[in-house]
Amino acid sequence: MSTVNDRPSPHRSAPLLGVRNLTKRYGSDGAAIDGVTFSAVAGEILGIIGPNGAGKTTLLEAIAGLLPVNSGDVSWRGEPLHAGRRRDVLFYLPDGVRPYQDQSAQQVVSFVANVFQRSDADIRSTIEALGLRPVLRKRVHALSKGYARRLMLTIGLLAPHDLLLMDEPFDGFDLRQTRDVMGVLRRETARGRTLILSIHQLADAERVCDRLILLSAGQVRGSGGLAELRVQTGLPNGSLEDIFLALT
Amino acid sequence: MRSHEAYVPPTAPIGPLLAKELREITAGRALWTMLLLVCPLVGYSFAQAVSLYSESSAPALQSPVLATSLSPLDGILVPTFGSFYVAVTLLFPFVAIRVLGQEKESGALSLLVQFPYRPSTLIATKFCAVLAAWLVVSIPALSALLAWAILGGHLAASETLNLLFGHLLYGGLVGAIGLFAAVISDNSATAAIIALAVTIGSWVLDFTLAGRSGLSAWLAQLSLTQTLRPFEQGLLSTGLVLRIVAVIGALAALTVVWLPPGTPVRTKIIRSVSCVLVVVVALTVAAQVRASVDLSEDRRNSFSSADERLLATLRRPLIIRINLAAEDPRYIDLRRNVLGKLERALPDVTVVLANERPNVANPSDAYGQIEYVYGDRSDLSRSTSPREILPLLYALAGVQPPAPSVGEEYPGYPLVASADAMLLWFFGGLPLLIVLAWRHIRRLPPDKGSRIHQGVKP
Repeated sequence: MSTVNDRPSPHRSAPLLGVRNLTKRYGSDGAAIDGVTFSAVAGEILGIIGPNGAGKTTLLEAIAGLLPVNSGDVSWRGEPLHAGRRRDVLFYLPDGVRPYQDQSAQQVVSFVANVFQRSDADIRSTIEALGLRPVLRKRVHALSKGYARRLMLTIGLLAPHDLLLMDEPFDGFDLRQTRDVMGVLRRETARGRTLILSIHQLADAERVCDRLILLSAGQVRGSGGLAELRVQTGLPNGSLEDIFLALT
Repeated sequence: MRSHEAYVPPTAPIGPLLAKELREITAGRALWTMLLLVCPLVGYSFAQAVSLYSESSAPALQSPVLATSLSPLDGILVPTFGSFYVAVTLLFPFVAIRVLGQEKESGALSLLVQFPYRPSTLIATKFCAVLAAWLVVSIPALSALLAWAILGGHLAASETLNLLFGHLLYGGLVGAIGLFAAVISDNSATAAIIALAVTIGSWVLDFTLAGRSGLSAWLAQLSLTQTLRPFEQGLLSTGLVLRIVAVIGALAALTVVWLPPGTPVRTKIIRSVSCVLVVVVALTVAAQVRASVDLSEDRRNSFSSADERLLATLRRPLIIRINLAAEDPRYIDLRRNVLGKLERALPDVTVVLANERPNVANPSDAYGQIEYVYGDRSDLSRSTSPREILPLLYALAGVQPPAPSVGEEYPGYPLVASADAMLLWFFGGLPLLIVLAWRHIRRLPPDKGSRIHQGVKP
């Protein structure tokens, strides 16, 4: 499995997604995300990392248009992207969701595949890649945490969008399963898909992401590839954990 | 796994969505639990209705005059469907709320709103699922109709279908309330409280304010209970149907407005106010529509055919000034026996209620008088019977009363029967079938032949 250090950086001249000064406040509390600005380029895996409560999920939901924001803009290939149109170009996979629990995994996959009019080959290969076949006949509420996560990933990969936002995609997997899923995601980017992943396990983020956004208390504390972050922090041999502690 | 060319269809086929909604509603326990509860409720009401009807029928079998008062609509259908109405009011909101509430609570709604369907399509599909659920829970009541027919009872198609249509509209109304409650609530428990507050509050409104005048009367009109009354009297009122459809449409529109989680609350409120304004206009327009059809077999909402034909020729405005309080039993009699029928038969009728309460300390001779003004002529009466009022009106209009119609008399349908054996069906056979159907539907589709397993698009 390659890491952020040894992969060539994706082409960065034309951002696919631009996020500028995105701010979301809940009532009189402080901002959940505060002036977040970053961009994602086509074909990369961009990791949003940060501790619990850093605003990762809020940021993804705001980008997906599922959460109204107080200010800020999202653009797609340089053009403003209205919240109502975001679902046309990106698909957000939330964390902790077990959809349609009284139905079998097979029925849920069938539903999503039919909605997106996916080909037989796409359905078959997605199920195989994520190892969902053994539990297809199980009801969703009876799935283990890992298989429930695989089901959600299957839904995400059946969505034909250019950009996928995934909230904690490796949560519930052991080390081997995490590496397998990373391989699946990496193959998706090789086919031209762009992924923005919210990850709280820094080791996972270091292994799979091309670039990283370090989020703390709703603000971006640093961004770039691991090498760039090392330069920013003056830690030439620092791990992502060292860099994160230095920046937050 | 993925085509090189990304393709997001602008719209998706409706079939999978509808199938998913139907699977969801039949997979849950709410629908089946309600169905099991409705069985004994409807069965007991039906058996009681048949018993009372039989007691009344025994003497009527010997007397054609007594028989004319025996209508299956009043004696069997309304009481039987009355218990169904209670079940729909109290239990159906839970079934409707589940259609949306389950997805909100599990987080699946955040996936659903990203699929290529418009919010209006999502809600329309959910409403279709709610109507399908209503059809399922109406099975015990429909089987009561069949049981009545098996016992040899008479069913008039028009008034029966009219009553069913009324209950369908009422079910749609309760379902729309449930969906709206679900969309504005964080969880199903809160949604249930909101929906029941509306449905049960509507009962309270009806009990406490019915028969009053002024603002109280207007508020009582808002009660959901009022929606079924004309249908129970065999009347199909276009205005009422339009009003119910407008309210259902408004609730559905509000549900659509509040569905997308990414829309700011301020925008939702502005759109909601627009919806409310539109429905107020629609209700105002619908209130002007007076067309109605008397579908009762005994024509209880109409004068005789000859009178109706003659009254329809009286083109000048008729003004009726009534010096009675709205809660006075004489006014209630007058409205049922005369005013309602006149409003249907005459092209231009204006009823003015003086709305005065009788002064016990200083009684007025005018209280109780009813003035009829037709053109430049007027007359006074205290009667509430059409036998006296119609000749008065014909005299004011200067026309001869029609000859009495022959052969129009309602014969009545007395029947002495026992529904005790039918209780076995409602308390045993039907619940057993429901449980078996529940088990069958909850079974997962067989592995063999699954198109996913065969690698074919499901």
